[in-house]
Amino acid sequence: MDYILTAESLSKHYKHFKALDGFSIHVPRGAIYGFVGKNGAGKTTLIRLICGLQEPTSGNYTLYGTKNTQPEITKCRRKMGAVVETPSIYLNMTAEDNLKEQYRIIGLPSFDDIPNLLQLVGLENTGRKKVKHFSLGMKQRLGIAIALAGNPDLLILDEPVNGLDPQGIIEMRELILKLNQKRQITFLISSHILDELSRLATHYGFIDSGHMVKEISAEELEAACRKCLRIQVSDTNILSLVLDEMDIQYNILSENTADIFAKINISNLTLTLMNKGCEIISLTERGESLESFYLNLIGGGKTNE
Amino acid sequence: MNKLLSADFAKLKVNKFFWLCTIGMFLFGIFMMTTHYIAMNQYHENAYITNVLFIYATAIAIIIPAFVSLFTGTEYSDGTMRNKLVIGHTRNHIYTSNLICCCAAGLIFCFSYIVGTLIIGIPLCGIQDGTLQGIVILILCSFAMSIAFTAFHTIISMTCQNKALAAVVNILISVFMLVISIYILNKLAQPETYESLNHDPDTGQIMSSGIVSNPDYLEGTIRSIYQFFNDFLPTGQAVNITQNGGLIQEPYLLAIYSSIIILASIVIGMLIFRKRDIK
Repeated sequence: MDYILTAESLSKHYKHFKALDGFSIHVPRGAIYGFVGKNGAGKTTLIRLICGLQEPTSGNYTLYGTKNTQPEITKCRRKMGAVVETPSIYLNMTAEDNLKEQYRIIGLPSFDDIPNLLQLVGLENTGRKKVKHFSLGMKQRLGIAIALAGNPDLLILDEPVNGLDPQGIIEMRELILKLNQKRQITFLISSHILDELSRLATHYGFIDSGHMVKEISAEELEAACRKCLRIQVSDTNILSLVLDEMDIQYNILSENTADIFAKINISNLTLTLMNKGCEIISLTERGESLESFYLNLIGGGKTNE
Repeated sequence: MNKLLSADFAKLKVNKFFWLCTIGMFLFGIFMMTTHYIAMNQYHENAYITNVLFIYATAIAIIIPAFVSLFTGTEYSDGTMRNKLVIGHTRNHIYTSNLICCCAAGLIFCFSYIVGTLIIGIPLCGIQDGTLQGIVILILCSFAMSIAFTAFHTIISMTCQNKALAAVVNILISVFMLVISIYILNKLAQPETYESLNHDPDTGQIMSSGIVSNPDYLEGTIRSIYQFFNDFLPTGQAVNITQNGGLIQEPYLLAIYSSIIILASIVIGMLIFRKRDIK
């Protein structure tokens, strides 16, 4: 797989506190990578390291295949944009002036693209209004516009929906999906709002106490979280024959237990199995949300904060 | 680097505090020259441009720390320092660009005052014969001092991520250094001797008079140390330049000391800034 960002054994210590400890991550090109972890888990620390705001204590990461210790890393950073914690914008300027300032920093020769960029994030009608009078959602969108100024391939968003109202959350989601699908921008989105992330992400990384606990694709996660019927029968061989005939997906777990991944007519199944001499001992519905998957992964309600 | 300079100067151009200081210094120059001319006229004395031309040197010792703290601090308070780092500008370039921009602002403040003084002073008083060279040398020294002062305060502003704290620390340091420099200048200005008069306590008539050595007069190594700090400290230079040169030894020494402060400040500032974790 083609990875845009990877890290191995990455550590960042603040005096005696280990914000990241032996951390690893693999962000595929074109993905919307949901970076999940509770407050203080190390999400923002990783983002600060990747953005060059801080240096790792040990270990390294690669951006577009270039190690952070190589001088070329600064050139690689020109292909990325980021909104770290709060949007980085001059509060005393207008949205347009902020973008002009970013264009100058990047060295873009013309400001012709600015109206399109403002339109893309829905800020085309802000006129001479100063950013300090913007709502939080507008500031977030301007932050994204600034991050998009250099046509980046990778966009890093730290808690992009934090503090947004429901309408703002929907707009932010649509914007991210649009940029991912139309411009093929890879996203690394850190969040602890799991429900929102589950609507966007194609890949997930679960971080806890500075460690990457698990990396998983959305398909794998869906399979892992898929609702199923756990059935306990006297003979799973007969059960498998019946389910094959009914063209139903299942998974045999033991001699007596199986998971069925479909909505079935229980009366029909019971009768068919009875006719073939197989008894149903128990039947329970099972299912796992992203939230419960995450909680199971990091050890439930345990907290070290 | 050019990109950063272009961005920083564009930001300077729309900075309200910068324009407030520039216009303020210009009006201050006009005000000082006008009041000096009126005062001298009242006493039927000649008014000279040089009596008020260099007052800006002390004024910028307060304005520069405040401006540098606010201009640079905005990069941290608004978080825009991150934009520069994220897209791959090196910390040395960011530091240098910011320093150049603040230095330019400091020089513009000096220049505004000088222009304000001259546009009133030249028509009213003219320029005394034989003073032009001295004026130019002192102005150049004040420019070097202004850059040294900016470089020094940039260290704190670029390494302290709290805008308010950086402003308070910079202004406090500046005021403290000004007080020290005025104290040093007063000590150096003590006369070596003074005339002592003895009065008859009953009649009040002078009994005897004589020259007595001043115990507060500094001599030897102590005087050399005081003289060094008087010339070396940017605030010392500022106070002396304000007094048309005051007790400074040689103008070229001021330029050398300013250059040392500029270089040392840049090296120290960059070393700290390169290691700093930005939030």
